[in-house]
Parts: sequence; C-alpha cells; structure tokens
Amino acid sequence: MLRFIIRRLIITIPTILVVITITWGLIRLAPGNFYTGDKALPEAIEQNIREKYGLDRPWHEQYLRTMGQILRLDFGTSLRYEGKSVNEIIARSLPVSATVGILAYLLALIVGITVGSIAALKQNSKWDYASMTLAMLGISIPNFVLGPILVLFFSLTLYWLPPSRWDGFPSKSVILPVITLSAIYMAYIARLTRAGMLEVLRSDYIRTARSKGLSETQVVIRHALRGGLLPVVSYTGPALAFLLTGTVVVESLFVLPGLGKYFIQASLNRDEPLILGIVAFISMTLLTMNLLVDIAYGYLDPRIRQ
Amino acid sequence: MAQIYVKQAIAGVVVVALLFTAISCHMSATNEEFFGRTVPPERNTLRYVNGAEPESLDPAISSGQHEARIYMSLYEGLVEYDPKSLDAIPAIAERWDVNNDSSEFVFHLRRNARWSNGEPINAHDFVYSIRRSLTPEVESRSAGLAYPIRYAEAFNAGGVFVRDPASNQFLLEKDFAGDEPAAAALSQKSLGTNEREYEPTAAEPTPDRDTPFHQFMHSPDRLVLPGAEKARNKLLESNPRLQAAVAGKELVKARAEDVGVEPVDDYTVRISLSESVPYFTELVAHQIFRLVPRKVIEQYGAKWTDPSHIISSGAFKLKSWKPYSEVVVERNPMYWDAGSVRLDEIYFYTSTDHPATMNLYKVGAADAVLNHSVPNAWLDVVRPKKDYMDAAEATITYILINITQPPMNDLRVRRAFNISIDKINYSKARRITKPLFAFTPEAIFVGYPQPKGEGFDPEAARKLLGEAGYPVTQKSDGTYQCEKFPADEVKFAFPTHSSNRALAEFMQAQWKQNLGITVMLSNMESKTYLAARSKLDYKGFAFGSWGADYMDPTTFLNLFKTRGGDNGSGWWDQKYVDLLEEANHTIEPQKRYALLAKAEKYLLDAQPVIPIETPAVNWVKKPYVKGLYPNPACLFAWKFVYIERDASKWDYGTPSLTD
Repeated sequence: MLRFIIRRLIITIPTILVVITITWGLIRLAPGNFYTGDKALPEAIEQNIREKYGLDRPWHEQYLRTMGQILRLDFGTSLRYEGKSVNEIIARSLPVSATVGILAYLLALIVGITVGSIAALKQNSKWDYASMTLAMLGISIPNFVLGPILVLFFSLTLYWLPPSRWDGFPSKSVILPVITLSAIYMAYIARLTRAGMLEVLRSDYIRTARSKGLSETQVVIRHALRGGLLPVVSYTGPALAFLLTGTVVVESLFVLPGLGKYFIQASLNRDEPLILGIVAFISMTLLTMNLLVDIAYGYLDPRIRQ
Repeated sequence: MAQIYVKQAIAGVVVVALLFTAISCHMSATNEEFFGRTVPPERNTLRYVNGAEPESLDPAISSGQHEARIYMSLYEGLVEYDPKSLDAIPAIAERWDVNNDSSEFVFHLRRNARWSNGEPINAHDFVYSIRRSLTPEVESRSAGLAYPIRYAEAFNAGGVFVRDPASNQFLLEKDFAGDEPAAAALSQKSLGTNEREYEPTAAEPTPDRDTPFHQFMHSPDRLVLPGAEKARNKLLESNPRLQAAVAGKELVKARAEDVGVEPVDDYTVRISLSESVPYFTELVAHQIFRLVPRKVIEQYGAKWTDPSHIISSGAFKLKSWKPYSEVVVERNPMYWDAGSVRLDEIYFYTSTDHPATMNLYKVGAADAVLNHSVPNAWLDVVRPKKDYMDAAEATITYILINITQPPMNDLRVRRAFNISIDKINYSKARRITKPLFAFTPEAIFVGYPQPKGEGFDPEAARKLLGEAGYPVTQKSDGTYQCEKFPADEVKFAFPTHSSNRALAEFMQAQWKQNLGITVMLSNMESKTYLAARSKLDYKGFAFGSWGADYMDPTTFLNLFKTRGGDNGSGWWDQKYVDLLEEANHTIEPQKRYALLAKAEKYLLDAQPVIPIETPAVNWVKKPYVKGLYPNPACLFAWKFVYIERDASKWDYGTPSLTD
C-alpha cells in the first residue's frame, strides 16, 4: 500500500508542474499586461515596471525564476492588489469557498441519500416518481437559473433571506448559495443512491437478512444502505474537490468573496502570481482528492493496488 | 399508474401557478413611489454598493471611479469637489490666490487640520504627497493629470536636464523650440520684470513671497530629454542641432525637488505650472493630490494601507477591509470639520453584478448604488420611481478609426461611415443616452461653444463613398451594395460587454442598411482589446469611451494631444496640438473656450473618431439618503451625506444640482 501511495505521489508532483507550466505559457500568450488599463501609462513608467518585475528578461529566465519560487511554495505578491501576498489571498478566500462547498455537499448527502433511499424502497410509487422528477430537474436546471429563482422568491418576494453578499458563517446569507450549489449534487446523489439501493435490495444477502427475521429498519440501515452507498462514496472525491474550488458561478451570483471570484478576476487582470498560485492550489487539491479516492479504492479493491 | 401521473401533474401545475401568482401579486403590490423597501437604517450608516474591488487604498495608485470614491472618504486634499457642481470648495486649504494667467496657485492651509492620529497637518505633508504621486516607482496611473505642474512630467517620466559643466548653466527649452514658440506663462517669466502677478487681497497683500525656489520656477523652462538612452539617442539623431548642443554636456536627472510644488511656509503651498490651467483648482481635488501619511508609508511600504497601520486625513478613517466584500470606514474624530460629518460609518460594498446589486437595493440591504447599475431591461420598472437618479454625465462613447490603414486613411470614407449612422434612433434604443455629434459631451461645460458635428445623411454618405472610389449601388429589392469596398480590411473591435455588443451590432446594421457594407464584429476580452487598441493593432474601428477626470473640455480634447497613450486612432496633428497650447496660454476664459472649440472642430473635421452618445447617470438611492447628488462624475464628498428619518424631508425625485 505504501508503495502504491509513493508511486502516486511521484506522478502527482510532475503533473502539478506541467499544469503550472501550461498556465504560465497561456498567461504569456494572452495579450495585455497587468498594468494595461483604460489610462495608458507613460512609456518611461511602463519601462520601469517591466524592469521591476523582470519582464524585460528573456522568457526562459523568467520561467525558471517563477518555477523556482513556486517550488519553494512562495507564490509571491499579487501584481494587482498592492502588498497582498498570494498566500494571504488564498488563506482569506478559501474558507468562504470551502464553507459553501462543504455545507452544500453535506446538504446534498443528507437530502440525496434520504430521497434516494425512499425512492428505492418505494420503487414505482408516487414518492419514487416525485423524487426522481425533482432529481431530473435538479440535474437539468443550471445553478445560474436556479439561484435567481430562489432569490426572486425568498428575498425579493418574501424578504426572508438576503439576496447576496457574505455575512460569514453561520448567518442567513449562507442559505441560498448553499441550496443553489447543492441542487445538482443532491440530485446526482439521490439517483446514485436509488440505483445502488435497488441493486442491493435485490441481492441474496438482503433476502437472507430478511429471512433471518430482521426488522425492515435494520435491513435497510445495516445492510442495504452500506452496499447501496458505494457509488456515492466514489463520487465524493471529485465532487468535493470541485465544490471546494469550483463554486465560481455561485460566487458571482451571490457576490461571495471566494476563491473562484479571485481566480476569474486574476485572469482578467493578468495577475500572474495570483493565477499561478490559485491554479497550483486547485490542482493540488484535485490531485489530493483523487489520490485519497484511489487509496480508498485500493483498500476496497486489492486489484487496483497492483 | 395513469392516475398517479394525473395527480402529480395537477399538483405540479398548482404549485407553479401559486408561485407565479405570489410573484405577480408582489410585483403589483410594490408598484409604489419607490423601488423596494424604504426603511432607514437604525444607525447613521450608509451602505453604498461601490462596484469593483478596489485595487489599492493608496490614492496615488489607482485611477478608477470606485476607488476615487473610497479615497474621498479617507483622504483630504487642498480642496474638495462640490457635491453638486464638482467645483473646488475649501478643504485643508481655506483659501487660495491665483496669479493673473492661472499659472501659479498659492494655497493657504487652515491651522486646525489634523491626521487621524492627532498630529497636525502642514504644507510639508502636501509637498511630500504630491511629490510621492509623481515618483516613478509609485507607478501612479493618474500621474499625467499633474503634468501641468512644472517639471512634474520630467520627474515622473525619468527625464534629464542638460547642464553645461563649464558655465554650470542648463540648456533651455526655448533655444530648441520649433518655429513659433508658444507664449510663455507668467510663472515662467523672471520675477520683477513683468507686471504684478497677483491681484492683492485683503487677507494676503503680498502673496508672491520670494524664495530661491520661486526664482527657479520663474526662470525659463529647462530643456528636458528622455531619461532612457535609446529614446534619447533617437531624438538626438533626428535633431542635429540639439545633438551638437548636448554633446559634451552633463545630463542631470530631474528630481522630486525640481517639481513646482513649494512649501512657502508651514501653512502655505505654492504650485507653479508650465502653462495656464484655469481649471487647476478643481483638478487639485483629484486623489493624486490628496494627503498621504509619510511616516506610515516609510515604515510599512506597500502595507501602509492595512487597517492596523493606516493614518488618514479625511472625514472618515478605515475600519476594516474584507477583499471582494466590503471596505468599512468610520467617522474620524480628529477631522478638522468633524462637527459637520453626519454619518458614523460607510460600508462600501463590492459587487459588479448589476442584478445582484439591484436586489440588495430592493430588499433594503443597500441605501445607494453606483452609476449604471440599473440594467437596461429594468428601466421600464425602475425609471418611473422617485428614487431613480436621472442627470447628465460627463462621459462619451465613440468609435475610434485606425486612420493609418486603407481604406480608412481616406477622410471621405471616414465621413461616410460617420454620417450613415442614425445616432438619434440609436440613443432612443439605448434609452438613457443622448446622441453625440461633437467630441465633448453636451451640456456639461457651461458657456463652452461646442462645435456641431455632421448629422445623419445616408444619401451624402453614399456619394462620399462613390467619390472615394467605392460606388454604392441600389439593388432591385431596394437594398444597397458596395462591391468594390474592401470589407475584409475593416472590422469593429470592442471589449466584451453586453452593451458594447448592442452598440456594435447597431452600427453594423446601419452600415449594412445605408452603405451596403458588412463590417465584421470582433469581440475581445477587455485587456486584449486595450492592448490591441494602444498598438493600433486593429482594422477599421474600435470602441472607445472616456469619462471626465476634471470639469474642462481638455479632459476629452487632450486624448489626441499625444500620439500614443489613449489616442488609439493613429491621428496626430501638430496644428491641433498648437491650438490646444494656444488655448492653454489664453487668460480670458471665454476666448480660451473659443480656441478649444476651434480645436474640437479641427478634430471633428479630421474624423479620427465617430462620436456616438453621451450617457446619463443611471442609479438609485433611497429617499432617506440626503446630500448625495447625481453629479456628472459620480464623485461624492461623503461628509455632506446623511440619513433623514423625517419622511417629509425625503427626496421625492432626482435632487436638483443647481439649487
């Protein structure tokens, strides 16, 4: 197992470097610079800036310098936001994204598993049809449509919840973004649970459990759910990684100061250190999550370890 | 089974119907005087949606309007913008003297002004702050606004003077100027030789107290060469006379101490300009002239604006800054005019999403929002309300033409494209704008004899194209075609934004309809577009827009004073520059305006731009927010803003800017 983990880690590091290299190249290819603005700078000042940030050096020198800094996990200072270090920006914005992401995933798990199980246990009933219709809606309504509908109803009509902005956790401002973000995951998990449960409920060991005379609750919770949830577990890794980092749409809908917001702005601003920092961070998170899932799989299925 | 479906379908329909009924009932119920709830906040706070995230809280650095608004709460200047007219009103300078041709300004500071830590503010603080804004390493984006100050440009752009080591004399600009050197400003003539510069006032019988620095300011302009060797050599090569004169001389870098800002005594600042600038007192209200704390900057460097370090000079001081969320400022008890400040706190919310902004406003979570927050599709609902702000704005939208490439290097073609656009109908479609035929916005500069540009005349446009060698013919179905026109050579580049796309598509349709020419649209990400535009790396047309930095026509006309920078058209004409220079050396205001109008007419005739529209301001504020006026630049002196709890004193409609 240790060898397996080490082997995976060895692949992970070059993957991150390749991702950063490609990102670095793309930033260089994009026209314009971080100092390009509505008001053009005098030539002499532009020259000063280029010297200060080493932009007048040959590209390979710039590349090696940047990579050297990143390898030392020093992402530097934002070019756009005076005096703010990239690490500081990530440390400040990640908690917002993570709170929304984790809450959304918890909500998705609770609702999804409950709804999915009910649908499976009462297959072909009106409960089943109703919940699967909702799940279908959840998957097919994009969050940039769902969000405004929720805002229209709960904020602008009923005045119950704030329509946007972040007041920290816990506060009312968390509710709408979390629901909006979790809808699609909720729906997926409900469908995965239903499918998994249906398969398990038909299997022999459930029949055995029932014939042993166990109560229906015990059958469902102790036996059926365990087997039925395996697909949900394997879905958790990638889903969580995306939830932690990829809440971009919800962040701009609800004006949340999260990581996704910074990422978009950094790209528009050509803020190279910040882009590279966030890309490195997101790819590390994604790869770690994948690694964790693979390790979990390795435990579950010895064939994968080989 | 079928039954279940029917029941579900019925239930579904009922739920949806209820939802829509609730929403539509609500819509009709809110059909009131104002947009959304109008409950004043419990405390004297203002929650203002301010737009994009401020890039920095350092007033020397950023040039955005949203940043300027925050700076105006934190930093005090010599003067402040009047909340209605944007004219200069006293701030730390309680009065000022201007010499006869507006080329030298003496500001007299009040003695009771203090920093937020209680230390007194004096003339040296201003000299430091202005010099700092001009320091090349600070990379101020607005430094150009201070260039009328003597040697400010030389210092900011790293220029050098030329000194003769033998005589220790500097070479002078006038010895190398062109054929007709413009008349020098009063402040460049030596002291004592000219008529008395200042009209004496009761408070200051002798404002021009003499100092060695003042003598230096009153000596003829020194010659300034580019600091960068490459640029300097290029210039010298093109001018053999200059090259010969510079050979063997010493190059002396322009220093901060050479810039024309002088502390005459602890409470007097004298600013010497290199030309007449009648609007200079209004210009001095700009953020780059505002006070910044030397001690904190020297101690903490770029981190000086952290809430734990910052010392401010304005009516408010920084309380907290949560990036991409809010900047909170609170009342500064040390402020010289603290007694008249009525708000305890201002929350500057960050939001660039218009619907999200308007939602915050509607539910009463924001008291006022930034300009242009009301989306076009919402206008029918929001504009009739009494909290909608409707007033002229000092901004223009135009189309730049790359005149360096055929076919647009032909004036007739440029004119044809201009007069084939029905700008009046375009403005009707845009709803909050007025058509623009000249280059300066209409009805902003009082008394300015704005020249008339050409109106809509598709017939003449087709004739012009024909004269240029691209005949327009009418097809049997009544539409036009222009087969000879190289449509591949012309595109319309614009930065991604829905309203820019609407503009580009309208122009495309007009040209197709009236000239039979299809111009392809090229949609670019904002920075890509700016980079392409400044390098003239576009074919044909590019979108342009400009907001006034100060209330004078030159804030628009100066765009074409330089070849590079924000020009973007490739058009540059010495005669135009001379006209502007002449105007800037004219003392009599109406005569100066006439000269500027002549320059503007010259620009319009050369047609490097197609003027399109002047927007109107387009924002909302709750009726209980008083003292906030829809001035043409959307800059607010926050100390005048307050929350009115008595509904009879609320604003019912746009507050007047002239009362």
